[in-house]
Amino acid sequence: MLRLVFFAPALLLVLLFVAYPVFATIGVSLFSSDGSFVGFGNYGTVLGSPDTANLNGFPKPPPYGTLIHNAIWIGIHLPLSLFLGLWLALVLRDVKGASWIKTAIFIGMVTPLIVGGILMLYLYDGNIGVVPSFFNLIGVQSLATGWLQHPVTLLFGLIFGSVWLWTGFSLIVYSAGLTTIPKDYWEAAKVDGTSTFRMFTRVTFPLLKPMTIVVITMTILWELKIFDLVFGATNPQGGVGGAADVLGLQMYRYAFVQLPANVGAAAAVATFLSILTMVATVATLRYMVKR
Amino acid sequence: MIAILAAVLVITNVITGLSVFYLAQPAATTVALCAGSAGASRAPPAVSQAVQVTIESSSSGFVVTISPPYKTTQATIKAIGPWAGPEATPFLRVLENFTRITGIPVQYQNIRQEDLRTILPTQFASGTAPGDVIFMVSSFIKANGAAHMVKLTGNISDSNYIPGSLDAVKVGADAYGGVYTGKIKPGFWYRKSFFQAHNLTVPTTFQEFKDLLVKISKISGIRTPIVSGDGVGWPLSDITEHFIATYGGAQMHRDLMAKTKAWTASDVRAVFADRLIPLLAGKCFSEPLEWNTVALTNWWGGLHALYFMGSWITGLVADPSDLGVFSLPAQAGITRGIVFAGDYFFVPKYTANLAEAQQLAGWLAGKDGQTYQVRQGGNIATALNVPSSEYPAVDRGVANLTNGVDILSDLDDTIGGDFQTNFWSQLQLLWVSPGQLDAVLASIQSKVPA
Repeated sequence: MLRLVFFAPALLLVLLFVAYPVFATIGVSLFSSDGSFVGFGNYGTVLGSPDTANLNGFPKPPPYGTLIHNAIWIGIHLPLSLFLGLWLALVLRDVKGASWIKTAIFIGMVTPLIVGGILMLYLYDGNIGVVPSFFNLIGVQSLATGWLQHPVTLLFGLIFGSVWLWTGFSLIVYSAGLTTIPKDYWEAAKVDGTSTFRMFTRVTFPLLKPMTIVVITMTILWELKIFDLVFGATNPQGGVGGAADVLGLQMYRYAFVQLPANVGAAAAVATFLSILTMVATVATLRYMVKR
Repeated sequence: MIAILAAVLVITNVITGLSVFYLAQPAATTVALCAGSAGASRAPPAVSQAVQVTIESSSSGFVVTISPPYKTTQATIKAIGPWAGPEATPFLRVLENFTRITGIPVQYQNIRQEDLRTILPTQFASGTAPGDVIFMVSSFIKANGAAHMVKLTGNISDSNYIPGSLDAVKVGADAYGGVYTGKIKPGFWYRKSFFQAHNLTVPTTFQEFKDLLVKISKISGIRTPIVSGDGVGWPLSDITEHFIATYGGAQMHRDLMAKTKAWTASDVRAVFADRLIPLLAGKCFSEPLEWNTVALTNWWGGLHALYFMGSWITGLVADPSDLGVFSLPAQAGITRGIVFAGDYFFVPKYTANLAEAQQLAGWLAGKDGQTYQVRQGGNIATALNVPSSEYPAVDRGVANLTNGVDILSDLDDTIGGDFQTNFWSQLQLLWVSPGQLDAVLASIQSKVPA
């Protein structure tokens, strides 16, 4: 009984602020904007829309649809930020004053993404941007242009730019992970004449597996719910021709741009997004438990 | 290697930190609003001394409170508008005059209409509103008027206005909004000094227009003859509408707005394919650039010769007397149109200060309020009886461009919704990939609401 009394406040909060909104959202997703019950009709509308998946005429420049764009974010951003963070953690492991460098890198992580998006407006601007100026300097004229003005470079520019914003996370997690590995393992391997690369693949990386799983899970969740960075750098449509459109923006448009608002379709996107994040989380958690 | 890496990271983050710091600051022009800027020299004299003006910084824009110079028991009403920086200066002076005359304190907050789209539906659902008089696009007012806005029909009358001005915010016979002043989107702006220096003349036919662009492109230092302003895509939509209203005619513009003509129709396509696309493909337009920073500066600085923009540009340049403007040359047999975009406002049902809000709405809709605004340049009155002598010379010139043409509403503002944002985004695509015309038109048509 006493346990229930202590448990009740937390349970109440969870029911009120987590469970109820989740079930209410699922409920809303089953109704049309005029309030009539449509079952899974909104899901059909969303998933069948060319805004969600549009590979007609592939290969072609983006847009490919929000779902595909989110998948591209995961495919490019995840390995880049993961391995860059790991590499920096390894390189900075025994460097004097490394904490200052790590702090500097981590600033990207605590910068609000909407600010990150606005910064990218300027970084990629064809007139004053650092990135086009750099490519102009080295003579790559095809990239010495406004990256956010062209569908070919827009999505990839935002993905590459966001690596800097997220690398701090994997750097910090891997740095913490490295401190848990006894130095004896590396010393023993060194005495046996193991090469640095082999030491990494056989000792360091396997022992960092729990951290890798955390980084992968959190990064996928971050990439699935990406919204503010794209919104800040482009417009409610995901920029030129919708080339950087993502699921979060699509949900926003259904709810706040469309007239009259299609809250049912927005709730359907939200539910779909939740299912995707649950799949990613459950899969990695199951993997961790098995290990 | 480590040292280089550390140096690069520190420099990058210092630059980022400084950028974030400066981006987070209210625009410098905000502070200068009441100290005088481009529009200050033309402002009505002495009026602002009669009221107290307080400027506060805010993360969501800037907030200006205008109070009478004496203690008052009147409630402060809050007006929300899209203007910030130099664009807000004239409007603040109008509010100052309202407070001076009525004694009603007014707080002005700048919130972009894109942001109001998110804020208003949730506030309406909970029976509140962020302000007492709110400027918003007409399509939003029309869609939400009956449910959440005060009927202004008794407060604001059609007979006070240029005919048709209120149509965009009417549901049946009831007007749920009012219209303040508006802006004409007359055509291509140029610096008279630049045209004189290079012996350029205003074109009278489309062929002359193309010849002019070729001539400009050969001038040393010119990047492209025309600079393309861009925000979230809307300046490109203004250019496109101007081409449609000139070479498709006013009726084509109205039909597209009424959704009775398809964007993929052959005559609509022809306007794009024959008039606009050759100029885009021929690199006569620049890539889309941020309209009120990079594009404006580059054009005024001589990197481009022409800039398509609305009449508010007269309040944004250092020397409005150096401005000239021309519309696209007319084609025989086609009745041209020019877009006039009114600034619409509404009073939410949830205001606690209904009487004062209606009083401000009436002031903004009437001759007195609008006279103060047009006197400062960049705006055209919608209220009748505002004498032309109140306009600065450059605005009288703009108003003359409307002689003999049909006045049209802003197409994408009128349709609104995700048609509008898709329209903007597709035009951004067309600007850099003119070869995708058919795909662009098909996408625009796919978002036309039923």
